[in-house]
Amino acid sequence: MKIKLELFGASRDFSKKDYLEFNLKEKSSIKDLRQKILNFVDSNFKGNENYKKLVLSSTFCSEKNNIVSDNYKITEQQKIGIIPPIGGG
Amino acid sequence: MLYAKVVDVSKEKIDIAKAQKFIVSSKYGASIYFVGTVRDQNNNKKVTGITYDSHDALVIKSFEEIYQEAETKFKFENIAVFIEHIKGYAALGDTSIIIAVACKHRTQAYEFSRYIIEEIKKRTPIWKKEHYIDEESVWLKGNPIKTR
Repeated sequence: MKIKLELFGASRDFSKKDYLEFNLKEKSSIKDLRQKILNFVDSNFKGNENYKKLVLSSTFCSEKNNIVSDNYKITEQQKIGIIPPIGGG
Repeated sequence: MLYAKVVDVSKEKIDIAKAQKFIVSSKYGASIYFVGTVRDQNNNKKVTGITYDSHDALVIKSFEEIYQEAETKFKFENIAVFIEHIKGYAALGDTSIIIAVACKHRTQAYEFSRYIIEEIKKRTPIWKKEHYIDEESVWLKGNPIKTR
């Protein structure tokens, strides 16, 4: 299934677009998606360590705007947001 | 009573007059306005501006959660809270956030306002990209959001 990963904050540096797309197996989890993104960084940014740290320290948000854990199963084609460490105000 | 919004500064302005209008009432004896602005230095670098990024839906959700938690924690009656945070580019001195709180008494207003800004800093999904003179712009390191 195809997942649209919406980019926010520093993860916007991953693409000129606002999102990335990944193909995941059925019943994949956020943990699997995170690994896909790490593989993307390896392939497209020569394993940039800062980008990898960013991916590892990020949380994720479901299409229904809930923060979800690594065990969350992505059961259908949907948009997922990557939420890097935050700091507004 | 809460009003919360993310203001896209490419389309509209953030305006303290809106906050004043929202919280004004003879029910309240104390009003606090917290206004965050872009300053010219950070980590010994000369800042020229900041671009704010936001996950709008999660930001509003977090403002609502923080407000409800504060209500439960402090148990004050009759409170009005106005929160606006910008997204987009802000130059030096521009306003990035307004938190207006009106309560019966000043101690309540101070406590409520302080709680809101500190919690926003910890967990509201807003990001800052700082711009400098003669240096590449940088996304600031923030706090990871914990999954619950």
